[in-house]
Amino acid sequence: MSNIFNIFVRSVFIDNMVFAYFLGMCSYLAVSKDVKTAFGLGLAVSFVLAVTVPVNYLMDKYLLQAGALSWLGERFASVDLSFLSLILFIAVIAGIVQLLEMVMERYLPALYMALGIFLPLIAVNCAILGGSLFMQEKNFPTVIHSFSYALGSGLGWLLAIVAFAAIRERLKFSNIPEPLRGNGIAYIITGLLGIGFMAFLGI
Amino acid sequence: MKSYSNTYMFLYVSALVVIIAVVLSLVSLGLKPRREANVQAEKALQILKASGYAHVERAQAIAAFDSLAEEEPSRSDGEMYRIRCADGSTGHVIPLQGKGLWGAIWGYAVLSDDLTTIKGVSFAHKSETPGLGAKISEEAFERSFEGKKLYDADGHFVSVKVVPKGKGETIAEENRVDAISGATITSRGVDKMLADGFQRIKE
Amino acid sequence: MKKYLGPLSKDNPILVQTLGVCSALAVTAQMKPAVVMALSVTVVCAFSNLIISLLRNTIPPRIRIIVQLLVVSFFVILVDQLLQAMLYDVSKILSVFVGLIITNCIIMGRLEAFALSHKPLPSLVDGVMNGLGYGFVLVVVAFFRELLGSGTLWNHPVVPASWYAAGYMNNGLMILPPMALILVGVMIWVNNSLTS
Repeated sequence: MSNIFNIFVRSVFIDNMVFAYFLGMCSYLAVSKDVKTAFGLGLAVSFVLAVTVPVNYLMDKYLLQAGALSWLGERFASVDLSFLSLILFIAVIAGIVQLLEMVMERYLPALYMALGIFLPLIAVNCAILGGSLFMQEKNFPTVIHSFSYALGSGLGWLLAIVAFAAIRERLKFSNIPEPLRGNGIAYIITGLLGIGFMAFLGI
Repeated sequence: MKSYSNTYMFLYVSALVVIIAVVLSLVSLGLKPRREANVQAEKALQILKASGYAHVERAQAIAAFDSLAEEEPSRSDGEMYRIRCADGSTGHVIPLQGKGLWGAIWGYAVLSDDLTTIKGVSFAHKSETPGLGAKISEEAFERSFEGKKLYDADGHFVSVKVVPKGKGETIAEENRVDAISGATITSRGVDKMLADGFQRIKE
Repeated sequence: MKKYLGPLSKDNPILVQTLGVCSALAVTAQMKPAVVMALSVTVVCAFSNLIISLLRNTIPPRIRIIVQLLVVSFFVILVDQLLQAMLYDVSKILSVFVGLIITNCIIMGRLEAFALSHKPLPSLVDGVMNGLGYGFVLVVVAFFRELLGSGTLWNHPVVPASWYAAGYMNNGLMILPPMALILVGVMIWVNNSLTS
């Protein structure tokens, strides 16, 4: 049990998707202009991760891995379909995101409008695909572990983007040179945060 | 807006998937001979590099390899070769396989006739970070293994360790190599890969 | 015509649209992978734009993301297969990043913003121009990161040995991803100053 909790905490702070692996940067930089939208996107990303990683885990375990198909019968034990991983993972992610988009358009129209193009872009958010690919490498014993990992990664991403949005909201009151305002300073600050975060890598 | 029926959507995606799968399979099949030849040449180049032949043309790689090496029965279940090295001596080629930060790493070690000293190594990786983990396949790192020994002064098997500069004081210089700064996990992967590979031939 | 030059500066995918950032961090430690990536993204973006534009009136909105991803994956794998057979050395660099190209937000972003609502030829051009705009940023960042971080350009040593002997050291920080972010920030600064 403690292992599951361990995985969760690790993926929020130490294996943080944004600061340790620099995944999901496009939406992170583009949607962090105000805290409310950032929070909304963070929740969306967490939701997609929390659903797609366990689904992909099961697909990997019972369909894709070398020897995964042995439950079908002895002669399938040597089949290795792992080369299909990338495309099948993406297909699952695309499906879930399309679903999310439809639900959001109907029930959360304000957030839907605010996110704009970055909602469908969650489908290609490298953090989401990265989550599934890392899950494959990490060899979790059960699907619950993979869920814990996914939820932790999502919340880590959410924390990163909300914290960053809070910083950017404050930035509006500082004296930044005109051409550097907005995107320019955002990249630089993220870079600096990233450098600072590297201190965690020693843990 | 036109409304599409569920059947249409289902058929649309299915048709698209089928067309893509067919075209890609045909392309893959058609290009297979050339691809395989490239892969074999790559493997030959790697082994030749580890044996001291640094600048072989890809087109001549397989021919050169065939003239210098012969397969020998191995003590483990990997393939092993005996090869005539660039310096005239006989070497044994050991295959290596391991895990880096982002994916698989592998390579070949050419050991002296008595299997105690490294004559050369050649590493490759699938997806390590350029400038960091990817440096394991660069000449500087590979050459640092030349002359290193698998056994310590008392005759115990220690493999060749990959340790960060300044941390390996307790290990004799002939049994260690400097890790790549900034590429901790990839370096550890190499360390383990060597230990596993050499352990197998020891038995 | 002027409109199409947009992606090079005023409407640059990385500097202005905030797309394609992940790969800009991952592949720019050296120039060679940066160039390979830039060319591959340009090719895939251009052709995906073309195909989706041709199909744009037949795609049901409910499944458009899946359709887009299928088309993009098709071209990426096609490019990868062709390179593995014809230009093996280049393919070694690329196969690492195949996943990164499929998920490159520029490609998806242009499909959503342009190809779905414009004719095939303009879509093709849009794809090419965005690819080039992206490539431009990549090459500049990679130039500085490789030069200052490893003392080489295109894997050839450039900094004279005498400098190293005198105490010059490569800036190891440049090789790490955060520096790419800072360099892009500076490029945005320059780009904004030039275009406003």
